[in-house]
Amino acid sequence: MRIVVCMKETPSTEVSKSLGTDQRLVRNPTETIQNPFDEYTIEEGIRQFEQHGGEVIVLTMSPAQTDTAVRRALAMGVDRGVVVSDPALAGSDAVATGRVLAAALTKIGYDMALFGQASADAYGGVVPSIVAEFLGVPLLSFATKLEVAGTTVKIQRQAEVGYTVAEAPLPALVSIAKGINNSPRYPSMKGIVNAKKKPVETWTLADLGIAAGTVGTAAARERVTGSQAVSTQRRREIHVGNEGAAQRILDYLIEQKII
Amino acid sequence: MDFTLTDEQIAIRATSRAFAEEVIKPIAQEIDARSEFPLAVIREMGKLGLLGLPIPEEYGGAGADFLAYCLALEEIARGDAAVAITMEAHTSLGATPFWLFGTEDQKQHYLVPLARGEQLWAFGLTEPGAGSDSGGTQTHAELEGDHWVISGSKMFITNAGTPISGGVTVTAVTGRRSDGHPEITNLIVPQGTPGYVVGPALKKMGWKASDTRPLNFDQCRIPATSILGQRGSGFRQFMRILDAGRVAIAALSVGLAQACLDESLKYARERQQFGRPIGEFQAIQFKLADMAMEIELSRLMYYKAAWLMMRDEPYTQEASMAKLFASETSKRAADQAVQIHGGYGFMDDYPVSRYFRNVKVNEIGEGTSEVQRMLIAKSLLR
Repeated sequence: MRIVVCMKETPSTEVSKSLGTDQRLVRNPTETIQNPFDEYTIEEGIRQFEQHGGEVIVLTMSPAQTDTAVRRALAMGVDRGVVVSDPALAGSDAVATGRVLAAALTKIGYDMALFGQASADAYGGVVPSIVAEFLGVPLLSFATKLEVAGTTVKIQRQAEVGYTVAEAPLPALVSIAKGINNSPRYPSMKGIVNAKKKPVETWTLADLGIAAGTVGTAAARERVTGSQAVSTQRRREIHVGNEGAAQRILDYLIEQKII
Repeated sequence: MDFTLTDEQIAIRATSRAFAEEVIKPIAQEIDARSEFPLAVIREMGKLGLLGLPIPEEYGGAGADFLAYCLALEEIARGDAAVAITMEAHTSLGATPFWLFGTEDQKQHYLVPLARGEQLWAFGLTEPGAGSDSGGTQTHAELEGDHWVISGSKMFITNAGTPISGGVTVTAVTGRRSDGHPEITNLIVPQGTPGYVVGPALKKMGWKASDTRPLNFDQCRIPATSILGQRGSGFRQFMRILDAGRVAIAALSVGLAQACLDESLKYARERQQFGRPIGEFQAIQFKLADMAMEIELSRLMYYKAAWLMMRDEPYTQEASMAKLFASETSKRAADQAVQIHGGYGFMDDYPVSRYFRNVKVNEIGEGTSEVQRMLIAKSLLR
């Protein structure tokens, strides 16, 4: 089985973020990490590969100033990497990203492609469905459990009560929810040393037969018109003095059906 | 001059940091309080390749360079010093001698399981009566037919009595050289060899979760072929092992000092006195600045010593400087970290009190500060 794990480099969670004049996040290429959600996806890809054999490949669309995140995936046990990088991709929206990933997946050839539930920077969570639409293959989203048997992939998805089971014939796309809780492994030391010997190909738009005008800022259907810090205001009640306070807390907990 | 680390070194440091933060740090206080050897964590480190970092892949190691090993050690020590010394003693003193001086058979038989982290190995040099004066070794071995018969005892030996200890490489006098000095040979003694007795775990001020034992050899017989390298090359071998070991101990000290700074910075931001965080007071700021400066200097010194070593250039003096300065830096850092924490720093619940107990031995193990000064002076006056 050929498994392709789609991954994104996102800004390090340890550095402070700022917005540029275009109101978009300023990205420092030396301060990027593997999208934290993708760790679960990579782990799942490697586990499925270990179970079923074949090949596991990591695919990312990136400005390619650094391949730290790709190398980390290789160090964890992924066989090879494909990076799609092209100056014309700057400012691409989710649809353009989906277009590119779909073309790259077609070129690589896949039985199953895995995605994270979202990326920790933009948090759109729509790319997997866009890719599925471009490819015309089923998407099983937000998997908290994943099983492949023969030519069928079956997932569990967390529901409000219990879980939903969904299945699809391969080839298919699956997005992995963080709730899969598959304890992403640390890259081993040997894995890190050997990662630099594993192949990583870089493809341009031309390699994928995509016209520059269909991606990037020009083709983007979304515009960032402004940005605002999220304000979180918790609802709170303050009672001063002891009189009746304990009763009020008790009443509140009952109102909220906590006790 | 280029201080850029390779991608591989950066990745090894990042993984070691994450492992230390997520797996080691959460149990550090508990294993210290119980003086418990953290077998499960050590096993996991073995699987990750952290116990054979600089050993070539063909012998079961990760095949990383020496600086990468030191970077990993710094990060592990930042999580817990006892775990770090277990890793350091095993790698620098246990496994490396097999790699440097062992026969192909010895490498296949002994080194491979060590580099894979399936077993730990100890190095027995110090004796009850021979510490800094390692030439004063009393343990001796006589060749009887095709066996060496070892008699004597060793002291403060790390990793000799863990559930996964494979054995010990022990220095012993095997005769007299033509110049009248004792001839010292390194002998390989697997666990369970009759006459090799591993004593009970020693009770210590710090590094409590590491395994430290006295060893006794009572007519302990090993095959004549169980020597490391040539007969009589023991002194030269352990001098070489200790040079590299000192760079590693410097890295370990830097990790511990960094942990002191990490905790101090956190506390300086949180702790309020006179209506503001204590980090706003110059008295605290100066302490933090001095700690950060000395840590960075120590780090640069061990980087340089490691770099010289990897270039096959002489580095004995730099190794001693790195070990000496870093261990004394970590002691000052721990002292100031406790001071910044005030009364809380004296309490077992705060990690800095453990750091304070842990740093002292860095000035003693693998050559005391006094020995380092002697070595530096010797190379100056040569």
